[in-house]
Amino acid sequence: MTRHVIVALVVALFGLVFVRLVGGYAELSALRPLAAQYVTQAPLELGTPNIVTGILITFRGFDTLGEVAVLFMVAASIGLLLKKDEPNAASEAAAAGIGEHTADDAPLREPSEIVRTGTDVLLPLIFVFGAYVIVNGHLSAGGGFQGGAIVASGAMLMLLARPGSRLSVALLSVIESFAGVLYVSLGLVGLVFAAGFLDPRFLPKGEFGAFVSAGAIPLISALLGIKVGAELSVIIDRFRG
Amino acid sequence: MVASLFHPLNIFLLGLGGGFVIPLLYRLGKAWLHAGFWLALAGIVAVSGVSLFDVYRSGTPIEVLTAGFAPPLSINLRFGLWEGFFAVPVGLVAMLGALHLWDRLKGNYGALLLYLILVMGIDGMVMTRDLFNLFVFLEIVSIATYGLLALDRTPAAIAAAFKFIMATVIASTFLLLGTVLLYYVTGTLNIDTLIAERQQITGPIGATALLMVLGCLIIELKPFPANGWGLDVYETAPSGVASLVSVGVSAGVFFALVKLLPLFEAQLGLIAICGGITFLFSNLIGCTQTKVQRLLGYSSISQMGLMLLALALLTEIGASASIPLVVGGLFINHLLAKAGLFWLAGVLRQDDVEAHASLGGRPLLLGLLALFMVAIAGLPPFPGFWAKWELVMQLTGMGRLPWVALILAGSLLEAAYMFNWFVRALRPSDERAGEGPDLIALLPVYGVALLLVGAGYLAARMSGAGQAWLFAPLLVGLALYTLDRLPGRVEGVLTLVAVALAGGWLAWSAEGIAWLFAALLLAGSLVIAAAGLYRRDRRPGYYPMLAILLISIPALLRSSTSLEFFFSWEIITLASCFLIAKGRGAGPHVLTFLLFSLVSAFFLLAGFAGIAALSGTTSLSALVTSGPDATVAFVLLAVGFLIKAGAIGVHVWLPGAYAEADDDFTAMLSAVVSKVAMFGLLIGTYLATRSEVSIEMAHGMAWVGMLTTIAGALLALRQSDFKLLLAFSSMSQLGYIVTAIALMSHLGWVTALYLVANHMMVKGILFLAVAGIIWRTGTRDFAGTGGLARAMPVSFVLVAFAILSMSGLPPLMGFGGKWLLLSAMAEKGWTWLALAGLVATFLGFLYMIRLVAGLFLGVPPAGQARAREVPPTLIAPQLLLAAGILVLSLYPKLLMDPVSAAIDPQFAATLVWEGKSLYTIYGYWNPTPVMIAAVAAAAVLGIAAWLVYRGGAGRRTGSLSRFYGYYRSVLERSLPPVATGFWNGVTGATLAAAATVRLLYTGNGQTYALYVLVYFLALYAASLGPAGFWVGS
Amino acid sequence: MTTGLPVSTILLITGFCLALIGLWGMLTHRNIMRIIIGFALIDTGLHIVMVATGYITGGTAPIIDRALTTAAATERAIDPIPSALVVTAIVIGFSVTAVMLGFAIRLYAARKTLSIDAFTESKW
Repeated sequence: MTRHVIVALVVALFGLVFVRLVGGYAELSALRPLAAQYVTQAPLELGTPNIVTGILITFRGFDTLGEVAVLFMVAASIGLLLKKDEPNAASEAAAAGIGEHTADDAPLREPSEIVRTGTDVLLPLIFVFGAYVIVNGHLSAGGGFQGGAIVASGAMLMLLARPGSRLSVALLSVIESFAGVLYVSLGLVGLVFAAGFLDPRFLPKGEFGAFVSAGAIPLISALLGIKVGAELSVIIDRFRG
Repeated sequence: MVASLFHPLNIFLLGLGGGFVIPLLYRLGKAWLHAGFWLALAGIVAVSGVSLFDVYRSGTPIEVLTAGFAPPLSINLRFGLWEGFFAVPVGLVAMLGALHLWDRLKGNYGALLLYLILVMGIDGMVMTRDLFNLFVFLEIVSIATYGLLALDRTPAAIAAAFKFIMATVIASTFLLLGTVLLYYVTGTLNIDTLIAERQQITGPIGATALLMVLGCLIIELKPFPANGWGLDVYETAPSGVASLVSVGVSAGVFFALVKLLPLFEAQLGLIAICGGITFLFSNLIGCTQTKVQRLLGYSSISQMGLMLLALALLTEIGASASIPLVVGGLFINHLLAKAGLFWLAGVLRQDDVEAHASLGGRPLLLGLLALFMVAIAGLPPFPGFWAKWELVMQLTGMGRLPWVALILAGSLLEAAYMFNWFVRALRPSDERAGEGPDLIALLPVYGVALLLVGAGYLAARMSGAGQAWLFAPLLVGLALYTLDRLPGRVEGVLTLVAVALAGGWLAWSAEGIAWLFAALLLAGSLVIAAAGLYRRDRRPGYYPMLAILLISIPALLRSSTSLEFFFSWEIITLASCFLIAKGRGAGPHVLTFLLFSLVSAFFLLAGFAGIAALSGTTSLSALVTSGPDATVAFVLLAVGFLIKAGAIGVHVWLPGAYAEADDDFTAMLSAVVSKVAMFGLLIGTYLATRSEVSIEMAHGMAWVGMLTTIAGALLALRQSDFKLLLAFSSMSQLGYIVTAIALMSHLGWVTALYLVANHMMVKGILFLAVAGIIWRTGTRDFAGTGGLARAMPVSFVLVAFAILSMSGLPPLMGFGGKWLLLSAMAEKGWTWLALAGLVATFLGFLYMIRLVAGLFLGVPPAGQARAREVPPTLIAPQLLLAAGILVLSLYPKLLMDPVSAAIDPQFAATLVWEGKSLYTIYGYWNPTPVMIAAVAAAAVLGIAAWLVYRGGAGRRTGSLSRFYGYYRSVLERSLPPVATGFWNGVTGATLAAAATVRLLYTGNGQTYALYVLVYFLALYAASLGPAGFWVGS
Repeated sequence: MTTGLPVSTILLITGFCLALIGLWGMLTHRNIMRIIIGFALIDTGLHIVMVATGYITGGTAPIIDRALTTAAATERAIDPIPSALVVTAIVIGFSVTAVMLGFAIRLYAARKTLSIDAFTESKW
């Protein structure tokens, strides 16, 4: 009881802090100089209509690279965490627990006709949509992360609809690694042939708004999408135990 | 090409590229995997190392730009001196750590890539100049840590990791929100721009955003009390991972704070308070901890607190020039020593301090453990020592005395629990704990130990104390250590030669009184050390340590600055401590000795800092010239030296240490080492010659000395263990010297030196003789001895001779000293002191008679083994000392003249001194009446005591031993052990407080999360006040 | 527009409320799964706050197309930075949630319970 009172007090105090923040907030009426610079430079210098993608892939590409690393590490961490114990490991109880766990949750009932057919119909659509979002990232709303997430949701659907099916984790992780290495390499190419690490301008800018344009941004975007899609799928698969 | 190969950007290419490639290499085979991992990790370290070198050479930081646009448009990073200073050591330690963790890492490509990216992430946190990028790197580091925490799969470890995640996620959420709000306020994320335009960060949103960023960084550093989650991880994680969290991740976070500090100018005081509370309480709670890794956790957290405190305070007082030495020194010290300790604990598989894993039979491991402990405790020659010195100097200079007190108190507590572990590791254990860890497992530990030594030297150079002579004792010790496998006596002889050469060289450069002390003590120490040759056994580590001790004494005496003095002082303390620890039953007494020594050292440190603050220089000559304001400094110094001299009340460390050390080493302790404190007191007392207040203080000190003499004599009378009796006799005799110094007159000081010389030789003989008796009879108890005069005639004569000189009866040397003292007191009008001196003389006679009678006279006890005279190796040094006494008795001028000459010029310049040369005093001084009066008084008291004894019923047939037995029981009843009780009470209260405070750590992750949130609210409230919770204008 | 509050303020309030709900849930529920949900809620709430702070009155998405010409972009585009940051933040939030869930599975396997009170073996 006292605990709830304390928690209520803490939450209330944070509430007051937030209220004060809201009280101090005034909606901006114009872009600040730096933001304006992004808005004007991204189309001009990079040739990408989607300014957010330009920022993500180029200006703050270093962040994005780090973010990819984070996802990559999560896949590795989950793998480490949920790895089956060796037969004679000390925590045998834990091993038994995992086995039981899957036994409980997966009675392996065949999914219904509707689900299976639905999956068959939806999966290609989802993958195609994912691919579209990935490769159009430089032109319209979307990009590697978003598209990658869509692709992974397809993988998730597949795993839900066909509990028996197995993703080829080995293949996915090879793809994931290759995409990562290529991403870093593209960054290096930018360093050598353009102005700096992760600079996509080593490819021609092309016609503004065309599918093939904006330097290497679509390329990087695609790699990102592949990598994110593969990573998320691996993570989802690992949770199946 | 080479330049681009070692450009700092490559750190990230290697880290990320290497990380991404690792799964591919895994499929190619183990060898590929391992080669790739090591290549990338070593590459990261090499790149940062080369970059640091470049930056150091060129003096300009390397800017790392990304995306081909200039900041603030794109993210940039910077590799400057500071960055390199953090990145390179962390990288090196991470490499050694990977080696340590290799068993767990090698089969596990996931762990390998996490480890690699973690190291890169730390470098990123250090280098990035973009606030949001900092958040990304923080997350990279956090996620990698979470993953590595999964290496240990026990329920406790997994639970601890979950608590860790909860708390750090809250912290990073603060950083995220703070960053975005800062962007809202300023329109930029570039740290340099933010700092340049920090004046514009105002209003409710700006202030809160700053506090959120600050809150995240402080919480990530695990502040007390919101740090239970960190401790649990330290306790349960694999030692390699725990060390990485403790030294690597914390280093990254700390450097982020260093980088952002200009934004928090208004919060400096708050940061210091956070650090101070953490430092003090972590160390307090650490005192009740026995689990090794959790213990190290408390120490880690406290060290981060100390760094935080130092950084904030030094910035606040504008002493930025000291930050590299202080913060850098503390950082390197913590990094290397803590990593070493974690790994050592891991290698030994010791999870509890109380565990039976004794290191008694493994000197090498014990040495490593000692080395790291010494570093952690902030003792020389490691970087922590130089850093703490500079910190205390700066803070005292700005009058931040409460902070100094806090730092010293916390350091003491930390030393207490760390060395408690060490002392327990010393315990001899019966079971031979299997085979030791192999060389490979210890390789990383050696690595950090070496780095630590190197860092210590660099820090010394930075402090301006890099002269070779200062390190001569350590170098000689090291050289002798390499010869430690030689037979004991050979090594002993080598030690003597080394001490004579190095010590002589050092003593040669000393001046004035210090030169006298140096010559006297060096000669004494050589003679007494030679007596150690009577032992034929190998004494691993004994001789190198002895050399360090004995050479440090002249080094201390030739110091010209207080820093050099303090350095040698601490080395002497440490060397004595380790030598005492060689004694069989020394265990618990080592800790007491060390703690009292540290308290003493801290008083000295504060005193020296006070003088430096007054005079603006650390030169020891400031002791003579500083003005009348130095009273406080004088008191601090006097207390420090008195603790070390075993003055009444703080004498409790003395008997145990003296009695339990090796028998020949006790002679060294009492005869030589104790005199160092006397020298300190003498030069410290110069301060008091400047003002009337101080003269009164000196009067007080004289009483302390006299009471010490009386108490020592009474305690000596109580003993039935004759080595203990001599130990207390030492305390008693040192009391005389203290009183003589406190006289503050020429006569007093000449007397003091005379007494020093006398005591050195007398106690040398007595303890060596006793060593022989213990050797031959195998007992230290009066009950097991008696009538040895026939069996050991030479010893008997020597002891009788020494006792005669100590008692002050004519014609020997002590006679001059004792009567000089009494008449000097009378002359000064300190009548009561003089009377007390008479009582003390009487009590002294009593225990001396008991010593001679109990050992050599009477009938041998029934079970006594047939004792033989000791060999010449033990007799010869005693004879030499006796000859010394004889010479100085016959030709006192040999000592008096140089002493007089050394003292006069100092005093001629002072105001209070009314110069009287010794000759004028001798001219009209007639000792005989004083002596006759004193002996008569003693005789009267003795007869009275005898009558009282005979007055009781049934004690008609008293022999001498029964007489002593009677008074011993009287004394035991009438003199409760007040001092021991008091110090036990202090210890008990500390432990009780620690046990209470640590109840905060309930172990519940949700509660810990609540603590973290409340901590932020407290920080917020402390910074903004109640207005922070109100939607104002 | 005649409503009193600007749209971004409404979003801001919504986001903060969501975060507070998450905070309450994270601190009061003993079940580890619910605690994780609490964290996810906090994250989501703050993501909304992030996006809201980048809004410019009357602005639109920073994508140059027929609706937003290059010339008009500086006038009418919202600040693109918070939008870019939030992508990163979402990914990181997802990562943390995934790791926490992984640990939750391990914890359940160890003790057959998900109550956080069952995992207090290391303390003091």
